[in-house]
Order: sequence, then structure tokens, then C-alpha cells
Amino acid sequence: MIDVKDINHTFLLGKKQNETALPVLKNISFSVDKGEILAITGKSGSGKSTLLNIIGGFMKPTSGSVWIKELNVTKLNEGEYADFRLDNIGFIFQNFQLIPSMTAFENVELPLVLKGLSVKERKEKTEETLEKVGLSNYHHHYPSELSGGQQQRVSIARTLVIEPPIILADEPTGSLDSETEQEILDLITGLNRDLGITFLMITHDEEVAQIASKQIHIHDGEIVKEEVSA
Amino acid sequence: MTFKDQWRFVRRNMKRSKSRIFMTILATAMGVAFLIVLASVGFGLHTTFIDDIIRDRSVTKIEISGLEKDNDIAPITDEEITELEKVDSMKAVTRQLSLRQTPQFNIEDYSGSVETVVSHFPSELKAGMELKEGDLPEDPYEVVVGPHFIENLYPDDLPVDEEVYDEDGMMKEEFKYEESLIGKEVDMVVEQNVDDETKEHEITLTITGIVEPPARDWMQDRQVYISEDVLTEIESFTETSRGAIIDPNYPDAEEEVTGYDKVYGYANSLEEVQEISEYLTEENYLVYSAASELDYLNTFFTIAKAGLIFIGTIAIIIASIGIYNTMTMAVTERTSDIGIMKAIGAHPKKIKQIFLLESSYIGLIGAFIGTVVAFVISILLNIGLPWIIESAFEQELPEGFQFSSIPPSLILIAAVICLIVTVLSGLKPAKRATQIDVLKAMRREI
Repeated sequence: MIDVKDINHTFLLGKKQNETALPVLKNISFSVDKGEILAITGKSGSGKSTLLNIIGGFMKPTSGSVWIKELNVTKLNEGEYADFRLDNIGFIFQNFQLIPSMTAFENVELPLVLKGLSVKERKEKTEETLEKVGLSNYHHHYPSELSGGQQQRVSIARTLVIEPPIILADEPTGSLDSETEQEILDLITGLNRDLGITFLMITHDEEVAQIASKQIHIHDGEIVKEEVSA
Repeated sequence: MTFKDQWRFVRRNMKRSKSRIFMTILATAMGVAFLIVLASVGFGLHTTFIDDIIRDRSVTKIEISGLEKDNDIAPITDEEITELEKVDSMKAVTRQLSLRQTPQFNIEDYSGSVETVVSHFPSELKAGMELKEGDLPEDPYEVVVGPHFIENLYPDDLPVDEEVYDEDGMMKEEFKYEESLIGKEVDMVVEQNVDDETKEHEITLTITGIVEPPARDWMQDRQVYISEDVLTEIESFTETSRGAIIDPNYPDAEEEVTGYDKVYGYANSLEEVQEISEYLTEENYLVYSAASELDYLNTFFTIAKAGLIFIGTIAIIIASIGIYNTMTMAVTERTSDIGIMKAIGAHPKKIKQIFLLESSYIGLIGAFIGTVVAFVISILLNIGLPWIIESAFEQELPEGFQFSSIPPSLILIAAVICLIVTVLSGLKPAKRATQIDVLKAMRREI
């Protein structure tokens, strides 16, 4: 499903951007099979977020390639990647990234609006998805009127509504308390189990990583350990 | 993303900064109103001048001064008149023969020398000639006179040192022949030199009608329109063609003259004048028409209007700075939203379209409001300006004078200019929106 091949990434720091080269990812290669949950763990500054950004198409690697569904996505331009993302990749962010001026319903509906679906289709799918994440009664609530857990559910619903085969999650429970964290993790494992969605999740929390079927530990931009859960 | 959804986005976003959008629309509307009002003066004056010219029948008149034949210019004869009358779109062909001396006309105690012509009345009537008073002649010794004929009649007992004219160059009322000319008998006295002696011949004519004055105040018609029979009598007296006076210094007077002295073709419209003129030129006729003067006037006003529109456009360009500012602020404010949308999968092109739609919307509303305001100003100008001129300068404006006119083409030009300027001013902020870095927009730590 996802093949990461020899990814190297270096940040150029300094005034002229060539004074100091800071390598953040070194020869990263791994693959994620369909229906797997892969957790990438590592300390802050280890390079795991940079890796997720490269896979998500928000950054271009210095070298190497990312293949998703047998397509070299690192060669896509911004517009092409946007179209690819809309059909294939969902995102769950640590700080939810909901549009504050839109209600929960409108936030979830947004990807369908971008896809150009009819109003009727959008309404049906959005209601169905909000019900799936347990927010049937919060359609007209703005993000500021929801708790952290509810906001993350809205964020997950926005991801699910397009039924993506892959979801990239960046510290999905990073901003939540332990009780809500478990709820979200249960939701993720349920979606993986019931819908067969492939998850690639980064976390610094070893406990969160336990829900993954495979774990990769990164240290100083290098994979130092790979584990497959029994 | 459908257009309807983009539109929904635009309206939602605009509602978030109502006062700023209102001020931007206001500035745009002021720019558009300024452009339209400024250019409307050019359009108004152009319309006034053209209407004024078109009111005069001479605009549709084509002067035909001769026919080029064997490298020589031949006068127009009845043969050519028949041909000219057959030309497509030719409404009428008038022709005049001029008497080659200026006879004296005596009416009661008044007399004066007046130019005399033989006119073909059926064609004159067809061309639009109208009588101010009386009827057309039915008898050969009946005549019609020009409306200013009376200005050439002086009292016989006028003292030599008396000032006859007023400061405007017109005959003073006290010296004018006061009675109606219709039905009056007038003695036409023609002369001829015979053996160094001047002989006179008197023909009594009856005035049956007075021709309508020319359309222009400054044009005067003092002529007497006689019949061909009277001309024949004059010619038999003078024994020269067209009554020319024999003068040893000018032997040409005795030569036989053929053809008409003045031939005019009349078209129904200005466009036809051009058409007929071109055709007649091809047929070797020497022609001149006022249409060429009108062409010059049109060119002059077109340049003037273009200049006014250009100056007006500057106002819209100034307003566009406001639009640029508003759109730049909108992009900055919505950076986070744009980042989220891009992360979800919004195509940069769609984001650009949303912002361009917003700036176009501001432009269109501005253009609409500006047009309405311009119409109100235009109406007030047309009502108020003549009143101000009349009361401040005590000068009356001509009837039908239009200071400002807003034709649909001007509204279209203003709307298009406004739309182009607003789209251009929204282009850079819209492009900036597409270049927003998703990670920076979402304030993520890399």
C-alpha cells in the first residue's frame, strides 16, 4: 500500500540556506501493507513528523521516493497531489485543524464539497459519518463549542467521509486526556478492523503505539528498530 | 468544487468582514461613478452636436458640382439629372440656374437688388423645402422669395447718411417693409448695355409664397425664385445666356452657358450619403457632402470620450488599491483555513478561483452601485447645469442641449474596465493564497 524507499532529507539552515546542512532523515525505507496500522515512534526532533509530511505530500524529500498504491507520489506536483489526497489519503492532526467558522457538519462536509458532490449526497454521507463517530447531536456546534475529544472525532469524521484507503495520523491523541485518548484509539482500531483502513500514525507515546500491528522507531533520522506485534 | 459552492464560500467569507468589504465596494462605486459621469459629458455633448447637425437637412445634402469627361469638367445637364435621379437611395435631385446679373426689385416705396434663381420646385419639395407662408407659383409670372428677402428692401426715401443696420448687423425695424409680401406685385428691373448705353427692362411679378428659413440661425436666404419663362424673357431682352450684362472688359459674358449652376442630391440618411457619394465619385461626378465634416466631428468626440474614459479609469485604479488591500488582508486572515483546505485536498486552482470570485464580486457590486449613482448625478447635471448657466451667466442654452448622456455602451465599458481592474488587483492576493505553505498555515512544528 505504502512503500517508502531510501528517503533522505536535509534542512539547509542559515542566511543563504547553504551554510549549514542538517540531515533529518537518513536512508529511511519501509512499507505498509493494506489494512495495517503502522506506528512510527521517536522522541521529539527525531524526524518522524518530517517523514509524515513527506508521505503526506506537504514536503519534497531531498532524495528517495514514496509510492502509494503503486504511484510515485513524490513526482506529483502540488495540484496533482491535492487531487490524489482528496481521493486516497485522510489526515488526523494532533490539534484537530478544524475551520473555526464552520460547524461540525460543515467541517465534515468540506472534503465532499471539494469533490463536487451534490447537496443531497453530501448531507447523507456527512450525517452518516457523524453518527459513526458518535456526534449525531452536534451538527450545528462550532469547534469552539466542543471538547477536545469531540473536536478530534469531528476531525476523524472529516477524514472518514471520503472513505480513504489510507489515513495518516499525526499524534492523534497528543492533545487529549487519557480517557478521551482511549476513546479515540478505540475508534481508530475499530475503523481499521471494520473498514480495513490502513493507518500510518506517528506518536511519541509508547502506549498509543501498542495499537499498531507494526512499529518503527526512529532516532536521529534513522530507523533503529522495527517491531511486528504478535 | 462547484461554482455554487465557491459562491457560498465567498459570501460566507465576505460576511466575516462586512465593514471592510463595504468600504472597498464604496471606493469602487465612487471610481465607477466618476468614470461614467466624466465620460457621460463627452457622450452628452457628442449627442447634442450630432443631433444639432442632423436636424439640418444639409447633412443629407450632396453637392454635385460637375462631371469629369475627357479630362474636362462638364456642367450637369438634364441628361445627367435623369441619371442621378435613378441612383439607389437618392431621395431628390434639386437644380438651380442663377441669373447672371442682380436685378433690382421695386415694391411700393421700397427697392433692393437681390440674387435671382430658377428653381425646380417639385424636386425642392421632395428634398424637404417648405413654405413659411403662401403657396407655390402656378403662373409663370408668380414667384416665391427667401425669408430674408425683406432684409434687402430699403425705403426709397432713405436719407444718405442714415444708419440702416443695428449693432447685430440687422436692418433696423423702422426701415423694414412691414406689410405681408404675399400677393404683392413686385417689379423686377433687369439691365443690358447696348451701344454704351444702359437699357432697362421691367417685368411685373406676383409673390405667392415665402420659403421656410434655413435650419441655422446664421444662414440667410434672400433669393427670388423665378420661373423658366421669366428667364427666357430676360434672355430675350439681354440677348445673352442667363441674362449676363455685356461688358467689354469681360467678353465671357456673351458666351453661351449650358447646364445647371447648382445641383444637389439628397439622401434619406447620413449612411446613404456616404454610399451615394462613393457611387457618384466612381461615376466621375465631382461631389462634396457634410458627411465628411461629421466624420471629423465623430473622430474628435471619440478621441475626447476615450480620453475621459482613460481619466475615469485612473479613479478605478485608485479604488483597486483598496481591493488589493482588502484581498491581501482576507488571504492573511484565512491563511489557516486555506492551509486546512489544502491539506484536505483542495486544488490550488480552486483556492485561486474563490479569491478571484470574491474580488470580481466586489467589482461587480461596485460597478452596479456606481452606475446607479452616475445616473442620478447625470440627471441632476442635466437639470441643474442649464439652470446654473442661465441664472449665473444669463445665457440661454440651445433647446435639447444635453450636458450628460449615459448610453448602454458606456455602462458596458465602465463595467468591463471595473471588472478587469478588480480581477487584476485580486490576482496577486489570490496567487499568494495558492502559495500558502500548508505546514506553516497549520502552525505545525517541523
